[in-house]
Amino acid sequence: MDFGSKIGTVAIMLRKFEEVNMKKRLLAMFLVLAMGASVLAGCSKTEEKPADSSATTTQAPADETKPADETKPADDAKPADDAKPADDATPVDTTPVDAPDGIDTEEVTEFTFYITMPGSEINSDNDIAEMIAEKWGVKVKETWLTGQTASEATGTMIASGKYTDFIDSDEMNMLVEANALIALDDYIDQYPEFRDTWFTKAEWDKFRQPDGHIYWINPFGNNYGTPRPTTHNDEAFWMQVRVLEWAGYPQIQTLDDYFSVIDSYLEANPTMADGTPNIGYTILCEDWRYFCIENAGQFLAGYPNDGSVIVEKDTMTIADYNTSEDTKLYLQKLNEEYKKGTVDPESFTQTYDEYIAKLTTGRVLGMCDQWWDFAYTVEPQYKIQTCGDVTLEEYGCNYVPFGLTTHAGDVNRWHTYGDTVNQASGIAITKDCQDPDKAFWFIVQCAMDSELHDLRFWGVKGVDYEVDADGMYYRTDEMRLNVADTTYKAAHLCDYSYFPQWSGTHWDGKNAMSPSEQASEFMSGMAEPLKKCFEAYGVGSYPEMIGSVVEENGPWFPMYSYSNNFTTATPGGMAWKLMGDVKHEWLPKVVMAADFEAGYAEYMDVYNTCNPQDFIAEMQAILDTYK
Amino acid sequence: MSNQKKNDNGSQNTNSVETKVADTKKGGKNATGSTFVVTASGSTLEYAAPVKRDKKFTWKEVKRQKSLIFISALVFIYGCIFYYWPLTGWGMAFVDYKPTAGILGSKWIGLEKFEFLFTNPLNKFWPTMRNTFCMGLLNLVTTTVMAVLFAILLNEIKSNIIKKPIQTISYLPHFLSWIIVTGILHDSLSSTGIVNDLLMKMGAIDSPINAFAEPNYFWGIVAFANCWKETGWNAIIYLAAITSIDPCLYEAASIDGAGRLQKIRYITLPGIRPTFMILLLINVGNVLNAGFEVQYLLGNGLVKSVSQTIDIFVLDWGISQNDFSLGSAAGIFKSVISIVLIFIANTIAKKTGDERLF
Repeated sequence: MDFGSKIGTVAIMLRKFEEVNMKKRLLAMFLVLAMGASVLAGCSKTEEKPADSSATTTQAPADETKPADETKPADDAKPADDAKPADDATPVDTTPVDAPDGIDTEEVTEFTFYITMPGSEINSDNDIAEMIAEKWGVKVKETWLTGQTASEATGTMIASGKYTDFIDSDEMNMLVEANALIALDDYIDQYPEFRDTWFTKAEWDKFRQPDGHIYWINPFGNNYGTPRPTTHNDEAFWMQVRVLEWAGYPQIQTLDDYFSVIDSYLEANPTMADGTPNIGYTILCEDWRYFCIENAGQFLAGYPNDGSVIVEKDTMTIADYNTSEDTKLYLQKLNEEYKKGTVDPESFTQTYDEYIAKLTTGRVLGMCDQWWDFAYTVEPQYKIQTCGDVTLEEYGCNYVPFGLTTHAGDVNRWHTYGDTVNQASGIAITKDCQDPDKAFWFIVQCAMDSELHDLRFWGVKGVDYEVDADGMYYRTDEMRLNVADTTYKAAHLCDYSYFPQWSGTHWDGKNAMSPSEQASEFMSGMAEPLKKCFEAYGVGSYPEMIGSVVEENGPWFPMYSYSNNFTTATPGGMAWKLMGDVKHEWLPKVVMAADFEAGYAEYMDVYNTCNPQDFIAEMQAILDTYK
Repeated sequence: MSNQKKNDNGSQNTNSVETKVADTKKGGKNATGSTFVVTASGSTLEYAAPVKRDKKFTWKEVKRQKSLIFISALVFIYGCIFYYWPLTGWGMAFVDYKPTAGILGSKWIGLEKFEFLFTNPLNKFWPTMRNTFCMGLLNLVTTTVMAVLFAILLNEIKSNIIKKPIQTISYLPHFLSWIIVTGILHDSLSSTGIVNDLLMKMGAIDSPINAFAEPNYFWGIVAFANCWKETGWNAIIYLAAITSIDPCLYEAASIDGAGRLQKIRYITLPGIRPTFMILLLINVGNVLNAGFEVQYLLGNGLVKSVSQTIDIFVLDWGISQNDFSLGSAAGIFKSVISIVLIFIANTIAKKTGDERLF
């Protein structure tokens, strides 16, 4: 019983509590009969809490930040009231930057930003946030999703009629419908350089809503210069390198290969060196994260992550992977492994926090998940947590991805190459925004100002990274340990991760936009067992490890960006909701079924009552617009 | 008892005398509508026949009661704003509500949402009603029984040094938020949790039971959680009721040779019966408020068929799907059922001659 993680859990609970309270208030609007209802008393907004170690993760590279490369002299005559964090080795030039007319960078504007994704809050006096505030006159208070779904959070906000200055939601169409957002078209045209660099015209047009306006800007998946993929920021079957090392780095292409390695390792090593029992395979099923069990079928059949359906490119038709043979075989395999005891019996009842806590102990040999869903929280912990007298990363707990397919040798499309423009969501400015001009100007700065970008993702020069004679950025071991430490991250680093950001090559043409993509950083940041594993398989990065076929996705990709916006107002949306409910209940049941065939047949019966054909038909209609 | 009655009369008289004096001074009519004569000794009271109550509305009357009117106006306004004005939101249930258009600007659809609610089996509304009702009832019965039991047992402890700390500790869980309680439950009932550990060590089970994967256990777990959290708190009011029972009764019973159990059976239980009935009536109206947080936080895909309550339904189908109309319809239905339940319970109470609400 690790006491630290208990405290973390309590902190998370407290946050959830506040969220739940908020929800209750709204329910009360519906359930107005107030008889004896519990007191819906004060529900104070979550104030900043120190990010705790077992906290949840952000979708974006949760790396670090830092100031400009060139002119960073200390000679600056700053504003007199210079009460900066003075412990920095290299003082940062915080003279307010020039801005267009009407935007005052001397005055600090505090914007609020609600993101319907879980994330770690930074401290209110975060060093880099303060530097950004002094120089760009903008401070952003980010609030993350806790303990509810994105649609609940968005619906709640709409019902209350009060919005944060910025918002990024998975349910943008609900916000548009509620007239909550400001159209950005005119703002975008005010910054032609940004407009032409950030997206192409065709890409911008994808963001146009039926009324012809653009309301949000997707901040992710955009490459500047040459792409430098090092991580596989997508879904995969992951396995710890210690298992592979023990098994002699075998070729793993199918589910059978994958589980036979895990089974034999588990049999030979029921516990870790310190006696902690190993868990063969765990499945996260909580709420919207149940994709960990739900969508492997599409990948196993060799299709890319369209998320809710399969697109047959040749015929331009939509297919349902829920009923496909590949999915059935996959569930059957899980059922088999469940009965063997390889699948964690708590899989279907664990919460996300429990799942992350479990992974952090290094006991879990494998799982199917999105990299962003676990790695940014879990992997840094392996540098700190220990097993016996070695750290978990030295023990070989890091995960490597496998692009499994139903039949050995098939091409796989687990990895998404190039830009993924998810037009379903992005950063938007609400009608309640206190200063839309400045807000939009800051969005542009995030994408266009290299100094700000470095500060967000590399950190402070001399503190979080160094520059060598060739102008290449690098980190010392101590810096790497620092940036893996959640306390340090909360107090010092601030990446404003839901503001526009680049992947790929830096403006200077040498470095990568963020440390996680810097080849030298990537290699020297790797633990010995992970390096050995990469060498054994003859690969240099995660995308090479998973070995997906390099292929351009269709302009419709990803289809989930459409289905995410479905509501029960249409028959297809209704079917989509019901299908989700059924899968939430039945996928675990099928995996646990004593008699798989019977369980599966029953599942299919229930599934078909949801009229999935309505959903498929509506998705087909969307796909037809690309014909 | 007679003692008490005398006291009551005494205080009433004092008040009346003051009123009378005030009235006489102002030369106004007797506001209470009755009059009496104070004899020379001032100790004997003689009631006169009540005069006809003057119901005429006069400014003088208003002026005289201005502070009372002011206070009740505040309460009235508060009620209108916070209890009756929100009821206009019920209008959402009868239109195809769009936040931008408002209730009046949205398209009228009549009872379409109710029809969907009641007739479409896919939305699982009736199972949800069943869950809510059963869990509510289970909670009501268990928490009430436990609270009464606990209050009686606590009352039997004569040493204050032991009694007070127990009482304080017992109601502390009431102040914990559900997220903490469910966290503790989730931790202790998981397959590696303390409950399974204990059962395994005692040899009661061979392999851990994953309590949250089993739909049959869910209602029980929720009822247990409610008991654990609320027993101490609910017992306070029963303890107060027990304290107000005249000690003479116990003394008399002891003299007659009654034992502890007999005293509980014949004095304590009948003594708290009125309190019990009133609380029961109030709580019957709350049965459909079976909970939101507990089920929301403890539930998962496997047990959703038994864990979903109306409040979760409203969140799931109303707020998440941007269908406020459906959410309101479910809310209205819930309120109507609650009112009906209260009427039924109240009528039964009337029939059996017990305390009642109205």
